[in-house]
Amino acid sequence: MIIKAENLTYKYGDLVAVDDISFQVGKGEIIGFLGPNGAGKSTTVKMLTGQLNPHKGSIEILGHDVVKEPKAVHERIGVCFEEKNLYPRLSVRENLEFFSDLFEARPDIESLLKKVDLLKWADDKVETLSKGMQQRVMFARSLINDPEILFLDEPTDGLDPISADAIRKIILSEKSKGKTVFLTTHNMSEADMLSDRVAFINEGKIVALDTPENLKLQLGKRILKVKLRTGDGFKEEFLPIEAKGTPSRAKELLEDENLATIHTQEATLDEVFIKVTGRKLEQ
Amino acid sequence: MKSKIITAIIKKDATMAIRNNLILIAIIGGILFSLIYYALPSEVDDTYEMAIYDDGSSKLMSILGMSGGLELRPFDSLEGMMESVEGGDYLIGIHVPKDFDLNISEGIRPALVLYFNNGIPESSRSTFEFIIGTALETLTSGEVPDVLEYEVLGVDTSGQEVPLRDRSLPLYIIFALMMEMWTISTLIVEENALGTLRAVLVTPATSSDVISAKSLVGFAYTLVVVSVILLLTQSLRGDALALLASIFVSALFAVSLGLFLGSLTDDITGSYIYVAVPLLILIIPAILIFIPDASISIVKAIPTYYMVNAFDSILNFGANMGGVLRDVGLILALDVVLFFMGVFSLRRRYS
Repeated sequence: MIIKAENLTYKYGDLVAVDDISFQVGKGEIIGFLGPNGAGKSTTVKMLTGQLNPHKGSIEILGHDVVKEPKAVHERIGVCFEEKNLYPRLSVRENLEFFSDLFEARPDIESLLKKVDLLKWADDKVETLSKGMQQRVMFARSLINDPEILFLDEPTDGLDPISADAIRKIILSEKSKGKTVFLTTHNMSEADMLSDRVAFINEGKIVALDTPENLKLQLGKRILKVKLRTGDGFKEEFLPIEAKGTPSRAKELLEDENLATIHTQEATLDEVFIKVTGRKLEQ
Repeated sequence: MKSKIITAIIKKDATMAIRNNLILIAIIGGILFSLIYYALPSEVDDTYEMAIYDDGSSKLMSILGMSGGLELRPFDSLEGMMESVEGGDYLIGIHVPKDFDLNISEGIRPALVLYFNNGIPESSRSTFEFIIGTALETLTSGEVPDVLEYEVLGVDTSGQEVPLRDRSLPLYIIFALMMEMWTISTLIVEENALGTLRAVLVTPATSSDVISAKSLVGFAYTLVVVSVILLLTQSLRGDALALLASIFVSALFAVSLGLFLGSLTDDITGSYIYVAVPLLILIIPAILIFIPDASISIVKAIPTYYMVNAFDSILNFGANMGGVLRDVGLILALDVVLFFMGVFSLRRRYS
């Protein structure tokens, strides 16, 4: 396993931010970490990346204990933070060059800039860039040491759909190279699209951890969505597939000459999240 | 700590500092100070004023009156004259006793008492003595009789005459040091406020690397700015060892204080208050150069007093290392305390 977290606990005073959670992540896997604000996502990421020491439990990253050997871990990971934390008076290139100097690796900064579509702005000061462009610089920075694990906290936040899609493609391309990705996001469809497994965290505890498909199948409601013509338009009818009366009602509808469309509809991760936690994931 | 990492942080901090407006202010300040230096008078006024109380009507008065560059200010009483000299209105007062000319001509040697203000520079004192000696020579048409007696009013602190522009040098140096302290503090606060410290600390760089790099950047900047001021004002003079030691301990003071103040807050605007208050206090001893009559007993509690003293002694009075050892030692001791306070406080904040 690339990431092994056991019985992690962290408290801010009396508030238990992370409450005895355990999980493992394999090589080449993308794990989506989902939860509302204050659920404990950021605290977990901070512990995994050695920014906070857990009050209880242990973390092993790439075979190293993060608390005892943080720098051995930092050599081999990349972190993209949620908040913008770049040097505003340095250019895009200077920012990346500075961080590359902190590692042993000598990356090809030009191709990295090309990858995130920032080559044209390489010599512009970061403070002159838009929020979305700064986000792309931060993403490029997380790749600077060709890391084995990427910790990405809301990597597409503030990006336009095209840029966000480009970033997602890079994430998938890193996965195809065998990189492990720990993804924190509010975007359920993004998590669904990218993650091999998804963990729902609520009030400091992991309340569900599985593949998106399994979560949707196990915890979501599959329904038949039927559209019937009426005199002046259409009316919709939803039939839970697992419900007792659904087969007979479906048969009736199939024989109805007013039937316009009929198809199955899977549960979404959003619905699964609400079912598991009893609360909506705030955007 | 890895030298490659520290070098990278130094390079980044140097670039950030250069692009920081505070550095610009420090540079402009340095140039401005140099201009002020040249705007101040480079020579002392050649005209001397002398208070005089004559019990009789000595010819010495008229002989002195004819001396070039000397203006006599007669007094009605000896007490009045002494009071005026002691108060600093005049650097010198002379008491000519009754029947002075007669006694001199008869071979009696009456005492001619010269009263000096305690702040009279050595050069002025010599000048007065020479003028009076010449006048006596004229009065006796021959050898100068041994009649002169001296009294210093107040504590005798007579020194050398120093032009105002040179006396002001420590002010510029102290101001530059304080500006550097501000810059270092800002670099530290900014790193926290921007969140970049978090990004740096999830790389192989450690908090020790960051603190070391910032200390070195601050130290180098301080040395450069102070040296530039001394070069621009053509004031790189005096005992080299003493000057280097004074610059070194003063730069270390600015860095250490900057580290400590930078560790007190994460808010850039708030940090200005944390810096401005000590800055205003620390600049006082340098400003007092222009107010020689001000009481200095409280000022001695301000560390920069010893810096001002050291730079003034070296640059203006030719002091060597032995002459400033006490000042340098005191500043160094304070540097050590402040540096460890700063590092300890920063480590706590960074952990």
